[in-house]
Amino acid sequence: MDFDSIAQQRATQYENMLRLIGRQRAPSEDAAPALAATRMRSVVNCDRIAEAYRADAKVAYVSEQFPTEIVFAAGVLPWNIESMSNMLAQSLDIDQVFRLTQERELSRDICSFLRGPFGMMLAECYPRPDFVLTNDQPCEGLLKTIFMSGKRYGVPTFALHTPNLLDQDALDYLVQQIEIMLTRIAGVFQSDPDPEFLRSSIVNSNRAREYYRKAALLLERHALPGVARELLEIFGMNYFGAAENIDLCKTLYEEAVVLAKAEAPTRPRVMWIGQTPGESDELLRHLGRSVDVLYWAPLWEANLMALDEEQPLRSIAERAIRYHWNAERMERDLDHISDAYQVEGYIIANTWGCRNMMAIGPTFRSLAARKRIKNLTISIDPVDRNNYAFPHIKNRVDAFLETLQ
Amino acid sequence: MTRPDSIAAAVEDVLELHRDRLALLAGIDRPKIGYLSIQTPEEILLAAGAIPFRLTGEFSTETDGASVHLGSNYCSYVLSCFGEGLAGVYGFADAVVFVDACDMRKRLWETWARTVPGCESWFLELPNDASPLSKSFFAGQLRKLIRRLEQRYGRPIGEGALRDGIARCNRTRELMQRLYDGNKRGSPLLTGQQSIDLVKAATTGLKDEFNDRLAALLDAAASQQPRAGRPRHRVLICGSYFDQPAIVEVIEATGADIVCGDISNGVKYFEGRIDADAEPVAAIADYYLEKHTSARCIDTDIRLRHLFDLVRDYRVESVIYFALKFCDTNLHDYPYIKEKLREQQIPVLFIEGEHNGSNIASIKTRIETFLEPRFF
Repeated sequence: MDFDSIAQQRATQYENMLRLIGRQRAPSEDAAPALAATRMRSVVNCDRIAEAYRADAKVAYVSEQFPTEIVFAAGVLPWNIESMSNMLAQSLDIDQVFRLTQERELSRDICSFLRGPFGMMLAECYPRPDFVLTNDQPCEGLLKTIFMSGKRYGVPTFALHTPNLLDQDALDYLVQQIEIMLTRIAGVFQSDPDPEFLRSSIVNSNRAREYYRKAALLLERHALPGVARELLEIFGMNYFGAAENIDLCKTLYEEAVVLAKAEAPTRPRVMWIGQTPGESDELLRHLGRSVDVLYWAPLWEANLMALDEEQPLRSIAERAIRYHWNAERMERDLDHISDAYQVEGYIIANTWGCRNMMAIGPTFRSLAARKRIKNLTISIDPVDRNNYAFPHIKNRVDAFLETLQ
Repeated sequence: MTRPDSIAAAVEDVLELHRDRLALLAGIDRPKIGYLSIQTPEEILLAAGAIPFRLTGEFSTETDGASVHLGSNYCSYVLSCFGEGLAGVYGFADAVVFVDACDMRKRLWETWARTVPGCESWFLELPNDASPLSKSFFAGQLRKLIRRLEQRYGRPIGEGALRDGIARCNRTRELMQRLYDGNKRGSPLLTGQQSIDLVKAATTGLKDEFNDRLAALLDAAASQQPRAGRPRHRVLICGSYFDQPAIVEVIEATGADIVCGDISNGVKYFEGRIDADAEPVAAIADYYLEKHTSARCIDTDIRLRHLFDLVRDYRVESVIYFALKFCDTNLHDYPYIKEKLREQQIPVLFIEGEHNGSNIASIKTRIETFLEPRFF
């Protein structure tokens, strides 16, 4: 496609996106206190979103836990197609988006975090990508969705296969795949991979991660309003490798230090396990009135690990394998997190269509029983409101909260 | 073995291996190892002296217990296989091999290990493409499987045993392909359900018995005259794990033939041939990755090209795309495959069902409405 056509298409897509997200549900009355880091993240997000619609921007669709360090090393903007789903969930026009997917006969049994982005593409709301990068994380459904997006736009698609079991063979295999991918990305721009850009991206990632990890550590011993959510948002944004992310994580850490000194009163801590609704979701607001909600994924060992600057691809590969759904590893992780953060309750949230969470949930319930941690399993759909309504589960949530008093 | 004196008897002879599979397997004093995915290298299990058999999920229709562990919004083939495990149907087996064939089977691998005592749960990585790098990695995984089997049964697996395993499986492929060649030329020798049951008989793991009986069937069929009368409409079935006698019956009752099943209980099981002259492990790895055209394969165009080849070779007139409810990979692929089939003016009908017990009344209406106008 020539430059003018891309420019025209992206301009239309930008207008469509603004129209969609401009029609928001009513804001909550008791929104969480906004941290400076939250406001900063909004600015960074706005900037990158607007940038991605410019005709000369280099845009790569990426999956949720894709190693964005290699995207930034190529000077490309990563567009995380799934992370937009929560924003989509707030739009009054969401049903139109899902209707488009149904007209294409995409099953409603598929996770709404995947149907949403597919619909956004059909509605011409996402910026046209220059190419598509994917791995099989966090699930094969996203892999399928993102691979199909490459076909939709007729652009190159490069995929990684992440083994499930961590050993030297698996690491070697994944490292070699990443090396091939780097060459292919450079090939799109008719250049060679630049090791210096990759080194710089890895350094950026580690600097940001260090602040991120220190903020997470402070959360172990202190009540830090808003920090757990911000850790989740930064995890979902997956902007590690970009210079802006260092400032963002540093700001979050510095605020966490101040909040720790303020010694906010402690409340029972509940760990949210599973896909998470947007912050303004009524269930989360309801929980937030009586307990402190922590989020599981940002505290995973894989998400807190630093990359080896001498062997960056190897540590990227290791992180990727550790990110995979795996009952044994996740149970071990959760066991440790529960102790470190003094968690008193689990909310295990099955999103309609998430087979991984559904099947691993019983492992967490067993862990909760062994550790005498109260737990509640709920079926929700934070994106497609045709599948779920908060009043249907409110009684169960209230009964669970009473057990924590 | 006495030779059957009619085609019908020869068919019954082969299908008996499936019908009596549990009793047959339980009665043989050799290690038995189960599997779910046809990407499992039976050759290696045979080389270890084991009988590799496929779990069919049809011997325990009770899935409530399985749903407690895996969830109810789950692929019913996976739930049924797990239900069999929980019910002790495979008490005679030493282990089940779970290939990385989809997310739900991965979760079953983990859950099986925790909940089914006495039958080990083994995992085999499976790349989702057939690049040289992936083939090399997969060959390494196969070597790990070989080491595991050697440790488990306390005997080495040499090249000779691997070559023997390859030869026996290649023989099955060759015979099955000969049978299906008839479908390409004209009307099928077997009914749709017999064809499916034949593949299930092949996956009972009694390779030599199966090969002998199928060879006898082919001999008996050699003198068979082509079916007289007006040619019937030619249907291909593709999609999820498919073993739906009621749907097959409805299709055939309309006056159509199922000439090809692009399914794991169909041609996907026996396509191609392993290079018997190459280094065995590498040859096995190459074969399984190159023939991989399921929905789990990352690039749907590979699956689609294979489907178009089948449509051409079997002179298919209509496609029925069957997806088990919650079979995500097949559900994801459908909009794209439908679009591409329609671009080629190939009619396609989407049917969704459960492994044991779909709502056949509504499906019947849809199939009749789809197929009947195409006969005139």
